[in-house]
Amino acid sequence: MPNDHKPILLKTFEIMPRDFTRAGEVSIKVQGTLKSIGFNSDLVRRASICAYESEMNVVMYGGEAIMVLFISSDRITLDVKDDGPGIEDVDLALQEGYSTALPEYREMGFGAGMGLPNIKKNTDSFKIYSEKGKGTHLSMDFYIDRK
Amino acid sequence: MPNSDPHIYRAPYVQVDETLCNGCVLCVKACPTKAIRVRDLKAAQVEGSCINCGECVRACPRRAIKEITPQSVDVFHKEVIGDLVVCPSTVIYTQFGENVLPNDVLLGLTIMGFNYVHDQTYTSELYQFAMELYIGETRKIADFPFPLISPICPVVIWLIAYRFPSLLKRIPPIATPREIVTREAKSRLSTKYGVELENIKMLHITPCPAVMMAMKENAPPYVPYGDRVMGINNIYEPLIKNIQELDDDRILHHSSGVGIGSAMSGGEIAGINRNCLAVSGLHQTIRYLENIEMGLLSEVDYVEFRVCLEGCIGGPFTVIDRYRAKRHLQKMIQMFGVEKRIKYAYVRKLYKEGWFFTSRHGLLAGDDPPPLTTSAILEGIERQNRVEEILKFLPRKECSVCGCPDCRTFAEDVADGRAKLQDCFLWEKQKERFKIHLPP
Repeated sequence: MPNDHKPILLKTFEIMPRDFTRAGEVSIKVQGTLKSIGFNSDLVRRASICAYESEMNVVMYGGEAIMVLFISSDRITLDVKDDGPGIEDVDLALQEGYSTALPEYREMGFGAGMGLPNIKKNTDSFKIYSEKGKGTHLSMDFYIDRK
Repeated sequence: MPNSDPHIYRAPYVQVDETLCNGCVLCVKACPTKAIRVRDLKAAQVEGSCINCGECVRACPRRAIKEITPQSVDVFHKEVIGDLVVCPSTVIYTQFGENVLPNDVLLGLTIMGFNYVHDQTYTSELYQFAMELYIGETRKIADFPFPLISPICPVVIWLIAYRFPSLLKRIPPIATPREIVTREAKSRLSTKYGVELENIKMLHITPCPAVMMAMKENAPPYVPYGDRVMGINNIYEPLIKNIQELDDDRILHHSSGVGIGSAMSGGEIAGINRNCLAVSGLHQTIRYLENIEMGLLSEVDYVEFRVCLEGCIGGPFTVIDRYRAKRHLQKMIQMFGVEKRIKYAYVRKLYKEGWFFTSRHGLLAGDDPPPLTTSAILEGIERQNRVEEILKFLPRKECSVCGCPDCRTFAEDVADGRAKLQDCFLWEKQKERFKIHLPP
């Protein structure tokens, strides 16, 4: 993972797959941490949208996962790594409306195929590594002073 | 500290009676902005951002916390009230049982001596249609953040200003029914009698301490009024006598059931023909605002938030129970029907002329503050790390004996130097457990 900038705050959160009753709690914690540091509201909003989308991806498709929040002098980084089934075709998953969600998830209002496209839209830089059967690693950057 | 923008800060609207307060922490735990503390086991004090929600007043078992309400005794003198323009909240129609209709209440007020009585229900219908038009217009703008949030409940707006400032943009610049009635009644009387606008005084009769505060203090987000306000409970006794002795057949109420219904949760959106949602209750409101801030619910057009359960009929200055009021209201809606009694083409014209728009009084203008400097981020993170470090040694029983609402807030107060570790009731035990010998 290319992460040469030194973190000045590092927090880890566990995400449990298929636990729909507690889904969203991790992103609320991330949101709370960023807010209490005092980041501006647009940055907090973008970061928490991405935290939520990636958390829901883990809850719906992934395996046990860790979300890491790094803050360095110029950026906020969210790193989500799971040991789930992985994504077969990453380019396809990045298309709006493409979804492999089960019908019951759609019933609950999830799985509209907007997760990864939404993350792409709200991050300043974003990388996804996935191998079938080995899991997915998502890394999202938000620049503190957006030029 | 984030979210303490000075231009929206006002003095708290509650007062603690120190002779009655025994320093229990029920109000501390109830406060949604974590503004109340009990220091040194003495009386509670309001230290931070009060949003007028009234939760602490409801939580206090000893009635030690009181709303600071304006003195309203003088309005009962006949010579004073003759000159006042009275504008009752629609909630008042639900308070007298099912045999008293809105028109009776309005006539009762004229018999009390108020010469100019203005009904709000018709304006509510206009407002609902204007909001529908506004939603339709903004939906066409690409990337406009949705859902929009109703501007009617002032506590919600203050809550957003303190805890969810990124959502301020979503409050539409459409004037609320009470703002429209105030503006229109004043300007009409002014042209009719040739009186200066400033000399026309309105009396608002409201179930809501927050509306009372907003009008008294000219607080954002509403346009300044400088008018008088009184609670429904203050006028109830004299009014009910007049209603029982009614002998008048003028018609002062013109709306359908939709306009009357806006007093309860779901009533405002019942008249807005879009994909809307009604949420009532403080904790539910906070949960939904958190979700909206994370970008959820974007398929919904408009959310009606009311911090009082069941909406304004659950307000603190009401007389009868919210569920009975709801029953009366539902009967009235059936009776008056659900077809709005407005001329749509005319409202469209008014909307195009800007009749419904208002500036949100400084609150919504302006962009986000500039990004934090590196040193400010470092400072914020250092504080955050200190808080986490302190939190490791706390018992996490969330007992609030220290006088803070929870262990995390206590840790924040310690980090900011506003509390001492020794204030924690279990600190001696924690010291033994973690073998801490250092003086903290």
